[in-house]
Amino acid sequence: MFPAPPTFEDLNVWAALPVIILSLWASVLLVADRFINNKFYVAAYSLLGVGISLVIALFQAGDLFDIGESGTAFEGMFMADQFTYVVNIVALISAAIGILISYEYLERTKLDRGEYYILLMFSAAGAMLMGSSNNLSMIFISLELLSIPLYILSGIRRPQEESEESAMKYFLLGAFSSSFLVYGIALVFGAAGSLDLGEIVVVAQTISEQEATQRYLLLIGAGLITVGLGFKVAAVPFHMWTPDVYQGAPTPVTAYMSSVAKVGGFAAFLRVLVTGLPIIAEGGDAAVWVDTLQILAALTLLLGNLVAIMQYDLKRLLAYSSIAHAGYILIALAAGGVPGVGDSAAQAALVYLAAYAFTNIGAFAVVAAIEKDDSTGTTMDDIKGLAVKRPWLAGAMSVFMFSLTGIPLTAGFIGKFWVFRAAMDAGLEPLAVLGVLTSAISAFYYVRVVWNMYFETGDAVVPERQQYLTSGLVITAAGTLILGLLPFILENLVRDASLAILR
Amino acid sequence: MLYAVVSGFGAALVAPLIHQSVRRWSGWLLVLLPLALFGYFASHMEQISDGEKIAFAYTWVPSLDVELAFMLDGLSLLFVLLVSGIGALIVLYGSAYLADHPQLGRFYAYLLMFMASMLGVALADNLITLFIFWELTSISSYLLIAFKHDYESSREAAKKALIVTGAGGLALLAGLILVGIEADTWTISELASRKDVIQEGGLYLPALLLILVGCFAKSAQFPFHFWLPYAMEAPTPVSAYLHSATMVKAGVYLLARLHPSLGGTDEWHAIVTGVGGLTMLIAGFIAWQHTDLKKILAYTTISALGILVFLLGIGTGLAVKGAMIFLLVHSLYKGALFMVAGSIDHETGTRDIAQLGDLAKSMPFTAVGAGLAALSMAGLPPLLGFIGKEIIYEATQEAHDLLPLVLTAAALLANIFNVAAAAMVTLKPFTGQAAHTPKHPHEAPLAMWIGPVVLGGFTLAFGVASNLLLKDFFAQTVAAVYGKPYEVKLGLWHGLNTTLVLSVVTLVAGGLLYAYLRQILPIVKPLNVGEKLGPDRLYDIGFEGILDFASLTERFFQNGHLRYYLMTIIFTLSSLLILTMTTQIDFDSIQLNVDDVLLHEYLLAGLMIAAAITITMTSSRLMAVAALGVVGYSVALLYVFYGAPDLAMTQFSIETLSVVVLVLVLYRLPKFKDFSTPRSRARDGIIAVMFGGLVTTLILIITSEPLQSRLSPYFAENSYVLAKGHNVVNVILVDFRGFDTMGEITVLGVAAIGIFALLKLRPSSRKEE
Amino acid sequence: METVLAFVIGILFAVGIYLMMRRSLVKLIIGLGVLGHAANLLIFTVGRLTRGEPPLIGKHEEVLSGTFADPLPQALILTAIVIGFGVQVFAAVLIKSAYRIVGTDDLDEMKSTDETQP
Repeated sequence: MFPAPPTFEDLNVWAALPVIILSLWASVLLVADRFINNKFYVAAYSLLGVGISLVIALFQAGDLFDIGESGTAFEGMFMADQFTYVVNIVALISAAIGILISYEYLERTKLDRGEYYILLMFSAAGAMLMGSSNNLSMIFISLELLSIPLYILSGIRRPQEESEESAMKYFLLGAFSSSFLVYGIALVFGAAGSLDLGEIVVVAQTISEQEATQRYLLLIGAGLITVGLGFKVAAVPFHMWTPDVYQGAPTPVTAYMSSVAKVGGFAAFLRVLVTGLPIIAEGGDAAVWVDTLQILAALTLLLGNLVAIMQYDLKRLLAYSSIAHAGYILIALAAGGVPGVGDSAAQAALVYLAAYAFTNIGAFAVVAAIEKDDSTGTTMDDIKGLAVKRPWLAGAMSVFMFSLTGIPLTAGFIGKFWVFRAAMDAGLEPLAVLGVLTSAISAFYYVRVVWNMYFETGDAVVPERQQYLTSGLVITAAGTLILGLLPFILENLVRDASLAILR
Repeated sequence: MLYAVVSGFGAALVAPLIHQSVRRWSGWLLVLLPLALFGYFASHMEQISDGEKIAFAYTWVPSLDVELAFMLDGLSLLFVLLVSGIGALIVLYGSAYLADHPQLGRFYAYLLMFMASMLGVALADNLITLFIFWELTSISSYLLIAFKHDYESSREAAKKALIVTGAGGLALLAGLILVGIEADTWTISELASRKDVIQEGGLYLPALLLILVGCFAKSAQFPFHFWLPYAMEAPTPVSAYLHSATMVKAGVYLLARLHPSLGGTDEWHAIVTGVGGLTMLIAGFIAWQHTDLKKILAYTTISALGILVFLLGIGTGLAVKGAMIFLLVHSLYKGALFMVAGSIDHETGTRDIAQLGDLAKSMPFTAVGAGLAALSMAGLPPLLGFIGKEIIYEATQEAHDLLPLVLTAAALLANIFNVAAAAMVTLKPFTGQAAHTPKHPHEAPLAMWIGPVVLGGFTLAFGVASNLLLKDFFAQTVAAVYGKPYEVKLGLWHGLNTTLVLSVVTLVAGGLLYAYLRQILPIVKPLNVGEKLGPDRLYDIGFEGILDFASLTERFFQNGHLRYYLMTIIFTLSSLLILTMTTQIDFDSIQLNVDDVLLHEYLLAGLMIAAAITITMTSSRLMAVAALGVVGYSVALLYVFYGAPDLAMTQFSIETLSVVVLVLVLYRLPKFKDFSTPRSRARDGIIAVMFGGLVTTLILIITSEPLQSRLSPYFAENSYVLAKGHNVVNVILVDFRGFDTMGEITVLGVAAIGIFALLKLRPSSRKEE
Repeated sequence: METVLAFVIGILFAVGIYLMMRRSLVKLIIGLGVLGHAANLLIFTVGRLTRGEPPLIGKHEEVLSGTFADPLPQALILTAIVIGFGVQVFAAVLIKSAYRIVGTDDLDEMKSTDETQP
C-alpha cells in the first residue's frame, strides 16, 4: 500500500543535480573566499560552478544522458521535468551573465567582495528550486532563498543612501509579502489537508463538486499566494519597490535580479496555479482565478508602460519596463487557467522568460557599461551621441530595445507572439489586444532610447571599454538575435514542458 | 525567390562600404540590384499572365505553423515590379539629389532595406511572415524619414509616422492572429477557400476592424491620414518612393490581398467604402489650398489612396479592375511628380509654386516628364490615367447595391480636385511668367530627370497600347483580388456614354477651379478647420494626456512612503477577499464553539491580546520588545497545551534569542516618537482592524469544516517503520522533508552572510565618506 | 478553542499590520515579529487542535494510534519559526545600519530614490 523504505535511488537525488552542485559549490566557495585575496578568482570560480551546473542542466534538458529519472525526487518535494530543466537553464544563464557583467563594475566602483558572487549563486539556486517545487513548503523556502540574497545584493553599495534605503524598503515589503504567502499556504493546507501540489489538485477537484465553502477557501489561499509571488515578479499593485530598488541597487545586480526574480517567481506561480489549483468553475469553465489574474495583468501592462514613458533615468525606465513585461507574462499565466491551455500557456511563459532574460540583462549591462564610477551617468542625456563614440555598444542597445518592444526577428517578438497566441487560444482576446496596444505605447519610450543614441549629439563621457562586460554583452545580444531568428531552438526546448495534471 | 527578398537586406549591409570605395559611381553600381530584381520578376510575367502561381515556403517555427512562405501571383507581381522598378529609378535619383550629403552610403542602406521589406510584404504568403516584413517597412521608413535628423521638424515627423504606423501594425497583428485562429491556417492563399468559416465566425468583426486599423494607418486613411503630410520632411527621393508608389500602398495591397477572404460583407462595404470616400474628399479638398509642391502632392496622394480604398470597398469586378489600374496609374504619375518636385526644389531652391514660373525653358527634360505625369493625373487621353478614370466612373455607376448616385458624385468631386491639383503642380511652375527664385534654375542632372521621363513614357505607352500590354496580366491581377476569374478589356474609346460625359465634366470643372483659384480660396478657407482641429490635434492632445497621466500615476503610486505601499497591498487584498467572501461563501456554516475551552486557555488568550495591544500603545521600546516576548512565550505555551512540544521548545529558545538581539540592537536607536497624526493613526487602525476581522472570519470558516489530512496518516504509520524515529515531527523534518530542511538551513546561512556583510562593512565605508 | 484562537489571531494580524504602517522603523520591525507569530498560529489552528497528545510514537509501538496532534503543520511551523527568526535578525541589523547612515528612524525621511526626476 505504501512504498518501500526510500533508498538513495528512490530519492532520485541525481535529478536535482544542477541545483545541488550549485548550492554546494557556493557553500565551499563561501569558506574558500576567506583565503582568496584576489576577488577575480572568486568570480572565476563562481562562473565555473555556474557553468558546470549549466552544462548538466543542458544535458538533462536535451535528454543527452540519463542521470536521475524525470519525475518527483525527495519523496515528492522536488519535481524534475522539462519545465524544471528550462527554468534551470534560464536561471543559470542569467547567473552566468550576471557574474560576467559584474566583475569590472564592482572593481571600479570599489564593491568587489567575494560574498557578492556567492550570494548571486545562492539566489540562482533559489530560483531553480522555485521552478522545481512540488510542494508548497518548498515554494516558501525557495522563495526566501531567492529573496534574501537579493535583499543583501541590492543594498551592497553602502554607505550610499539610495542603495541603503531602497534595499530596506525592498526587504521590509518582501518580508511582509512573504508572510502573506505563508498565510496563503496555511489556508490552502487548511482546505486541502496537504501541501503536495499533486494532492491538492485532486482535493481541489473532488471538493469542487460538493463543497463550495472549502473550494473558495482554496481560492482565497491562492489569492494570498498570488500576493506573495506577485510581489516577487513586480505585478501591479505589488510593484512599488521596483523603481526604487532597481535604481538604487548597483546596475549589474539590477540586471541580474530583474531576470532571476521573474524567472523564479513565475515558475513558482505556474507550478502553484496551473499544477496545483486549476480549480474548475461551474460548467467546466476556466479556473476561478483567471479573472483576478486578468485584472492584475491589465493593471500591470497599463501602469508599467504608461509610467515608463516619462522616465528620464535609464535604470528607472527599465524598471518600469520590467513591470510592464511582468504584465505580458501574467497574460500567459491567466491563459493557463483555461482548461486545455495550461501547457501551452506555461510554454509561452517559459519562452517569454528566456527571451526576456537575454534582452533585459543585456539592456542593463549597457547601462552598466556607460555608468560612471560614482553611479551617475545613466540618464537619457548621457546616451546622446553614443552611436558615434561607441557604435557597437549603441548597436547592442538598439537590439535590446527592439527586442523589448517586440519587433520581429528579435527574441522579444517570439515571446510576445507566443504569449498572445496562448491568450487567444484561451479566449482572452481583450487581454491580448490590450497587450498589443501597450506594446505600441512601449515602442515610444524604447525608440526614444535608440533615437537619443543615434540622432542626438552629446558629449557625455563614457567609461573605457570593459572586457568581461563586453563578453556578457556579446552573449546577450547574440542570444537575443539568435532566439529571434531561429525560434525553433526555444520551441524544441519547451515543447515537452507540461504542467497541467488535469486536462 | 527567398534570395530575391534577402538580397536587398544583404545589399543594405554592404551599401555603405560600396559607397565608401567608389563614391561618385556608387549610385550607378547599386542600381544594378533593383534592376536585376525587376528583370527577374518581369521574366515571370508570361507565366503569371497564363494564370500560374509560383510559391515557395521555408519552415521557420513549425509548432506555431509559421513559415517563411512566398507566393507570386498577378497581384504580388504588379507590386514587386513597381517596387523594384521605381526603386531603381529612386536609387539613381537619390545619388544625384543627395550627391553632397556625407551620409549617402547610409541612405542607400536604408533605401535597399526598405525595398527588400516591401518585396517581402508583397510576396509573403503567410500571415506572420507578412506582418514581419510589414513592421520592417515601418522601421526602415522611419529611418528614411528621419534621414535629415539635424532638423527638429524632421525628427518629429518621423516619430509621428512611426507611432501611427507602428501602432497600426500591432493592431494588424492582433487582427491577423484572429483571422489565423478562425480560419485555422496561416497561409494567405488558403484563406479565400475558408471565406465562409471566417465570415460566419464570432471573431470576424473584431478581426476585420483590427486589420482595417492597420491598413488605414499605413495607407494614411482618415482619421490616421495626418502623419503623411508631416512625413514630407523626408528627402524628396524618399517621399517619391515611400509616399507615392510603395509603402503607403502596402495598406491597399493588404486590403486587396484579403478581399477574397474578408470582403463582400455589409461591414466591409460600409466601413471600407465610407472611410475611403471620406478620405478622398477631405484630402482632395485640402490639396489645392496649399502652395507647397510637396504638400499638394501629399494631399493628392492621400486622396488617391482614398480612391483605391473606396473602390476596394465597393468590391465589384469592375471596381477591383478600376482599383488595380488606378494603382498602376497613380504609382507612375505620382512617383514622377515627386521626383519633379524634388528637382525643382534642388535646382531653384524653393518649392512654393507662388515663386515659380516658366521652368519649361530651363528644365526641358524635367518638364516633359512632369507634363506626361500631370496629364495622366488629370485623366486626359491617350494616357493611362484617362483609362483609369473611366473605369472608376463605370464602376461607381454600376454599384447597384450601394447608392450608385452618391458614389459617382463623390468620385466626380474627388477627380475634379485632382485635376485642379494636377494643373497647379505643373502649369504654374513650368509655364507662364518666369519668377525670381533663390537659385538660378537650370536642368537637373541626367540621373534626376531620367526617372520622371521613364515613368511618363510608361504612362503614355500603357495608355496607347493598353489592351496589348496589360490585358492578360491584369486579368490575373484582378482575379487575385476579386477571388474569381474576371475578363479585363482595356481601351481608350468606349463610345459616347455617361462615362465620357463625366470625364468631360471633370476636366472642365477642374480647369475652372484652377482658373478661379484666387477667387475661390477666400470663400473656402473658413471651411478648412479640419486641418487644424482634426485628428492631428487629437493626436497631440492624446499624447500630452498620456504624459500627464503617466506623471500623475507615478506621483500617486511612487510616493516613497513605505506605509502607503503596504496600504495599497492590504487594500487590494482585502477587497479581493471581501469580494470572494460576500459572493461565494456560506456564512451560515460558521459555528462559534467555545464549550470546551478551559479557564487557563482563556487566560492565555487574554494575555496575548493584552500584550499585543500594549505594543501599539506603549511609548517605551523596551516595553514593546517585552510585550512582543510575552506574545511569543504565550504562543509557545499554546504549543505545549496542544501537543506540539517540539514547537514549544524551538519557540522558547528562539523567542529568547530574538528578544536579546532586539534589545541589543534597538538600544542604540532613538526612542519611540509619535511621528504620525491622530487622523492617520485612526485610518491605519481601521484598515488593520478590517483586515484582522477578515482573518478571523476566514479561520472560523475553515475550522467549521472537518479536515482530512492526506499525509498525516502516512507519516503516523511510517515514521517508525520507515525511518525508525519515534518523534513524528522530527522524522518529517530530517527524513521525509529532509530536502526542505536543507533549504531552510541554506536560507539561514544566507541571512547570516547578509548580517555579517552589513556589520563588517562599517569601518572601510565610513572612511570613504 | 479554535474559535477563541480565531479572534486572537485576528487581533495579532491587526496589531502587526498597524505597526507596520507606522513611520518608525522600530515599530515596523516589531510589527513584523507580531505578524510572524500570527502566521504561525494560523497554520497551527487550521491544522486543528488536539489537546495534549503530541505525535510521538510510543517506545514499544510502531505506528501512532488514538488521537494525536497533526504532525504536518507542526513541521511547517518549525520551518517558519526558524526562517522568521533569520528574517527578524536580518531586519534588526539592516535597520540599525540604515539608522547609522541616514540618521533617523523616520521612514518618511527615506525617500530619496523616489523623487521624480524632471
